[in-house]
Amino acid sequence: MDSRTRSYIKKKFKSYYNNFPLYLPHDFKDREWGFILLDEAFNAFMRRHKSFGSEGELHEYLTSMIPAHCYYSVAYYKYPSAANMSDKGWSGSDLIFDLDADHLPNAPNNYSEMLDNVKVETLRLYDFLTKDFGFSEDDIQIIFSGGRGYHIHITEDNIKDLDSNQRREVIDYLSAKGLNLSHLFHHKRFVPELQKDGDDLDLNINSGWRKRLNAYIISYLQDSLDSSNALEVLTSHKGIGERKASMIIDLCKDKKELNKIKEGNFNSLFNIDKNLILSIAEQGIEKIRLNIDEPVTADIKRLIRLPGSLHGGSGLKVIPLTYSQLKDFNPLVDAIVFNETPTLINIQTEQKFELNGMKFDLDVGIQEIPEFAAIYLMCRGVAEHES
Amino acid sequence: MDQTYLALYPFIPQASEHVKGLGISVDRLLESRAFESARIRGKERIIEALEGTLTKPYPETLDETSFMIELLSYPFSRILLSCIDDNYLTRRYALKEAESSSTLLSQSDSQFLIEFSTEFGINIKPVTSTLFLLHFTDYLHLSSNMKELEWKLVNRKMDYGNVSLSQRDLARLLQEAIKFKIQDSLPLELSSELCEQLEPYLKEIKAKLEERKKNFERIDTSEVDTDSFPPCVKYAISQVKSGSNLPHSMRFAMTSFLLNIGMSVDEVVNMFNISPDFDEEKTRYQIEHIAGATGNTYKPPSCNTMKTYGNCFGEDKLCTKLSHPLTYYKRKQWLTSKQDSNQSETKDESGNEDSDDGIKE
Repeated sequence: MDSRTRSYIKKKFKSYYNNFPLYLPHDFKDREWGFILLDEAFNAFMRRHKSFGSEGELHEYLTSMIPAHCYYSVAYYKYPSAANMSDKGWSGSDLIFDLDADHLPNAPNNYSEMLDNVKVETLRLYDFLTKDFGFSEDDIQIIFSGGRGYHIHITEDNIKDLDSNQRREVIDYLSAKGLNLSHLFHHKRFVPELQKDGDDLDLNINSGWRKRLNAYIISYLQDSLDSSNALEVLTSHKGIGERKASMIIDLCKDKKELNKIKEGNFNSLFNIDKNLILSIAEQGIEKIRLNIDEPVTADIKRLIRLPGSLHGGSGLKVIPLTYSQLKDFNPLVDAIVFNETPTLINIQTEQKFELNGMKFDLDVGIQEIPEFAAIYLMCRGVAEHES
Repeated sequence: MDQTYLALYPFIPQASEHVKGLGISVDRLLESRAFESARIRGKERIIEALEGTLTKPYPETLDETSFMIELLSYPFSRILLSCIDDNYLTRRYALKEAESSSTLLSQSDSQFLIEFSTEFGINIKPVTSTLFLLHFTDYLHLSSNMKELEWKLVNRKMDYGNVSLSQRDLARLLQEAIKFKIQDSLPLELSSELCEQLEPYLKEIKAKLEERKKNFERIDTSEVDTDSFPPCVKYAISQVKSGSNLPHSMRFAMTSFLLNIGMSVDEVVNMFNISPDFDEEKTRYQIEHIAGATGNTYKPPSCNTMKTYGNCFGEDKLCTKLSHPLTYYKRKQWLTSKQDSNQSETKDESGNEDSDDGIKE
């Protein structure tokens, strides 16, 4: 980014910060703040250990310094501006999840598809957070990061004092790391000591991972039964011959037996072949598990993007969303804050992208395109401003 | 009212309230002949913990006298532990007190378990007489040092934030709560005169402690054995000592290695003190990060990764048989101790039943 482009971007960002309201995090006075300024963005130098006592102070900082990237700490501190981490007096942290397109398997190259995938993942995480973890909608803030994904912030009091290891357990839960099917299915054949302990836990068999996997196994069996080649599907599993496959088919056709399975009682299935059930469950785990960046959640002192600020690498707005807003949210339209004024830029490499419902296919050289698209390319460092 | 449980669980707040209510001064507890049995029992609690199992009286056999002895012996144990103020001893005592309490608790009725949990500020919700619910954050606080897979949250049944627990699970989690509580409440601040006065009791405990420590010292990881370091780490240290700068990947490898074998953040910071670009704050911050907030979170990279980054130096014969620098260290120590034990008879008791060192796979 040359100096002319920089001063253009500064002017545009400044007018944004002058005209739009801020979203302040809970207890913002107890947070540490960090900024990367446009002039210093090339080496990602961060000015941190800042704190603000009022909304006005923060607003003044944003409009006078015009940062490219704005962050605040997930942590609450007694002395947020202490230069020394150990002097800050940590008193708790929000629970944060980072869903980034980069962490999803088979990521497409196309930005918009990438964002679609990560949105689906975010909705799935929301489901886990409300059902398994019991967070209420009010405690879950979903944020489009302005870049390649979404953040989820949880501000409920109970989670604030969890340490890094405990937060990693939450991630392990979501990503099924260490999930042990024998314990989960609680089957006496696998876990002999359960014979002593009674079956008390079975009362709650329909919860957590067990519930999700039950549903997966049942729909897998029903789908294979409904298909014309049930026998073939089932015998494709290791150790399942035609005899066992027909036993399973008969079992699932029996209404009474099927209801038992739906209630979570897999004994008759296990009696036919336990490995089949486990291998379907393994498949289910791969489909259901989430891909979330672990270090972000485990870091209780992390700085995270400020909702309402602009992402200096894209010019898009970091947007807080409710669950229902997320469903209809299209970041490549809804996160655009700049207008359509024709703007002259010099493009350095060929660019093909979609933004604000428009398709762009741009050659190298000087071009006039709408301001929002021009700023997007300049922020990405692939074009310079021309005047 | 049945107060038996105060003697069985003398660490709960109600028990200390009860003791306070008796109006016995510390001086009297330490000096009066009337409390000699309590003092002896107090010393025994610690010795039993060192030797293996802290015994609790059978509730049915407690009469008024034995109730008082049991109840008052606990504060006396705490005084003794505080005078010695040895980290291992305190943790061992806390663990053993918690273990035997947990055994008793697993046989108690659910009403008592709920009351007991409440005493510890743990909000247990009963579903049936043998099934309980606990909020997952409370669950994580209690279970995060338990390494077995079955205690991982992912292997628990959780619904709307509540984890299901059997009575046995609950008793086991309460064991952790008891252990933390006892550990955190020690040492007491005592004058040295007071401790001097107790020397006869302390002497016996200290002797037992020394004996026990001798048995596992050579394998105990808290004693760093530089001779057993793998060649790559030795090389990194020599580079640091000679004033050269290490590449980041090597710095990470060396730091995580040293933390994993039990060196403290301070000790590692001091090792870098000689580095030319030494910036104590920054170094400390980085090392604390590698150490994680509560323990050694990051494992050092494997031999393969070390090779990939060009950090594998001086590969020796032992290196070729294994794939991780930490394995090298342990194997080398084991080999050394085996050589030594050919000369003198030693038992390889690690003494580390309470694996609280936070290393997580």
